[in-house]
Amino acid sequence: MSATLFYILSLSTVLATLMAITRRELVHAIAYLVLSFFSIALIFYMMGAPLIAALEVIVYAGAIMVLFLFIVMMLEMGVPKAAPKPFLRTWGPAGFIALTILVCTCVLFASGPGMPADGVKFISPRTFGHTLFSGYALAVEAVSLLLLFALVGALYLGRRE
Amino acid sequence: MVPFSHILILAAIIFALGAACAAVRRNVLMILVGVEVMLNAAGLAFVAGSMRWGMPEGQIFVLFLMAMAASEVSVGLALVVYLHRRKKTVDVDDYDDMKG
Amino acid sequence: MQKYITLILILPLIGALVNGVAGWKLPRRVVAAVGCASVGASFYFAWKAFSLMGGPVNFKLGDWLSVSWFSAPMEFHYDALSATMALMVTGVSFLIHVYSVGYMKDEEGYARYFTLLNLFVSSMLILVLAANLPLMYIGWEGVGFCSYALIGFWYKDTANADAGRKAFIVTRIGDVAFGVALIWLFYFAGSTSISVVNEQAVGSMPVSTATFIGILLLFGAAGKSAQLPLSVWLPDAMAGPTPVSALIHAATMVTAGVYLLMRMFPVIHLSETAMAVTAGAGALTAFYAATCALAQRDIKKVLAYSTISQIGYMFMGVGAGALTGSLFHLLTHAFFKALLFLTAGCIIHAMKGERDIYKMGGLMTKTPVLFWCFLAGALALSAAPGTGGFFSKDLIQAATLAQGSAYFTTLWVLSEVTAFITTIYIFRVVYLVFAGESGPAPVKTPRLMTVTLVPLAVMSLAGGMINAPELWGGTQRLATILASQSLAGSAHVTHEAFVQAVGAFLFAAGVAYSHYIYAVNPEARVKRAYKYPGLIAFLNSGWYLDRLYNIIFVTPYTRLSVFLWKTVDEAALDYSFDSAGTGLAKAGTLLRASVTGRASTYILAVLAGAAAIMVFFTWSAI
Repeated sequence: MSATLFYILSLSTVLATLMAITRRELVHAIAYLVLSFFSIALIFYMMGAPLIAALEVIVYAGAIMVLFLFIVMMLEMGVPKAAPKPFLRTWGPAGFIALTILVCTCVLFASGPGMPADGVKFISPRTFGHTLFSGYALAVEAVSLLLLFALVGALYLGRRE
Repeated sequence: MVPFSHILILAAIIFALGAACAAVRRNVLMILVGVEVMLNAAGLAFVAGSMRWGMPEGQIFVLFLMAMAASEVSVGLALVVYLHRRKKTVDVDDYDDMKG
Repeated sequence: MQKYITLILILPLIGALVNGVAGWKLPRRVVAAVGCASVGASFYFAWKAFSLMGGPVNFKLGDWLSVSWFSAPMEFHYDALSATMALMVTGVSFLIHVYSVGYMKDEEGYARYFTLLNLFVSSMLILVLAANLPLMYIGWEGVGFCSYALIGFWYKDTANADAGRKAFIVTRIGDVAFGVALIWLFYFAGSTSISVVNEQAVGSMPVSTATFIGILLLFGAAGKSAQLPLSVWLPDAMAGPTPVSALIHAATMVTAGVYLLMRMFPVIHLSETAMAVTAGAGALTAFYAATCALAQRDIKKVLAYSTISQIGYMFMGVGAGALTGSLFHLLTHAFFKALLFLTAGCIIHAMKGERDIYKMGGLMTKTPVLFWCFLAGALALSAAPGTGGFFSKDLIQAATLAQGSAYFTTLWVLSEVTAFITTIYIFRVVYLVFAGESGPAPVKTPRLMTVTLVPLAVMSLAGGMINAPELWGGTQRLATILASQSLAGSAHVTHEAFVQAVGAFLFAAGVAYSHYIYAVNPEARVKRAYKYPGLIAFLNSGWYLDRLYNIIFVTPYTRLSVFLWKTVDEAALDYSFDSAGTGLAKAGTLLRASVTGRASTYILAVLAGAAAIMVFFTWSAI
């Protein structure tokens, strides 16, 4: 049952991402990307990571994509000027390289370790928070500093002359 | 659940799509979108690892990943705004002052 | 004794050093005095050493080349042959030095001239007094270099520099043969000392080796002495100052070849073939040069070809074994040829630089001193009975005839024909320059130049006294001295009276014939000249030998050089380097195309790198 669900969700993720990356309209692309993130959040929940699933929706789909939309709306970009080039010419090289990476990783992963005998272990937020703040408190501080830097940087870059 | 390698293959597919998007699209914002997709795929792989070995460390790293993605996106978009003010275009092919 | 010999060698060298280093600052008188005094003092010591000579003297001044298996010290050998040569070289050089003071009075490069002249004399003395072959080779090369420098003395005119270069290159070809013979002799005898080599050769050298070495030595001598086939440089060498022609190309350097053959005679004597080839080469060259001298217009070129011809006689003498005769002829030739050249220099000076004998005339009455001196030289050259030239040439011819074989008898006939032609060509010059009335008025010659002619004239006419044969009541002093040190060669002279009669007859006939052509009936001569222009051109250019060498050697070599230059060096090598350069530049331009400045290209490149790494991992995993 959960396996079928997983495959359906993975299909939707892939399709949504595919649509996202091939749209000419930016807002459409971002909308499809939000859909892709929702699917991934559901996959996360199925893999026993409820907190991460929630954070995926809140942070990624909620904050980051909204930020993207802000910028898209703010900049008047107009219609792309150049004539559309043939499909193979644009997507050919990158597609080939991406395909190569994909094939290699598949070959490498196909012979990886299998699943354990017992089922999926559900990591509750309590366990998650306990491990995070007891073992990785220093990393938390570092990440918060990172956010500070990003804040300062974004403020500086975005200032009006 | 599904075998571990299937999840990793899914992550690989999403990563490849994100890479292709970053390499091909001429709009700077779409390049950033491709980067986001790649980061997401990496996070998926981490959570899959966390599920496989039953340890929360993978998810903890995904948390950090998301924080980093957020900061990167904010700075990146600030740059896009700046570039748009300077060059009046977001076509990355027009940012070729380092040509030659 | 050793001191005298050392002084003979050192004094001209010191003169050269002083003039070379400081001569350009010293006044002309000092330069001339240093030059002449050094050679004059050398002559004085040569005379003293000659009068004190008891037997052969060998002494060593110091070590020079020395490794474990080879040593060539600075060893000098003084015997009758060297003594005579040293006397002749220093004596004639001294007179020519004095003459040069007058000749070069108004010329530039005064110090350079006297430096080179002194250096030449010292090199010649080293050559003559050396006891081993490498030391002789040094003298050999030294005279070659000085000859080159002096022929091209007025180097600002490229023709003169070309003549000097031609002389150097042609003699160099002979020097290679001499070098090979030197090394072969060392290989055979284990030493390069001349006396050691000669002793061992007489003891144990096989005849075939002696033949080869003899012919190599002949080739080397032919280069230095301007015999066929290497005679082409001497007529061109007349571009140099006349005293240089007199000293180097009449009396000294060109006799170095004869001296070499005389020194190595024990080796050459072992092989009949080598002797025959030497004699044949000498006789043939004598004939060739005499015919060419008949058609020359330049007075110095007549004398140049005459030198080639007379040295051919000396080679013929060596080939016939008559070393006494060759040395005797060498001495008399030095006197009368130097006399002829110096007089020619005076004549050219008197005619304001004109050298064409057909444009001169009537000098007999206008410059009687020059006439009598030139006539003395002409009589000696054409072997007028009683002159030095008569005795020496007839000694050689008698020795050739006395060999007896058909080959040598043919050579004798050839040499008598050559003697006849010799008389004609030199009296042609006498009549055209001195007789008649048609020439321009001469310029007065400096006293210094005419005063040196007189001793030479006396020596030319009276030089026969050195070795007058018993037939005429003489004592054969030269032959006695040489024989006492076993240097006299192997000839036995038999029909001497017969040969002398033939010689006298040919002389008279020659004078009569030339008198008839040039004095009695000039119009017939002019008419006949117009009938044979081809023959005259043939003889004038030296039987087209220059052209022949051009076709055989010079043109293919030049073509090869041009080919190597244009096709190999420029087209292939330069082009390959240039195209490597431009190819690299093009590759750089190609690479530049990848630096587009566009982010999409760079992102693609990063992904391509990642893909490559993945492929590598996959490859190594499966």
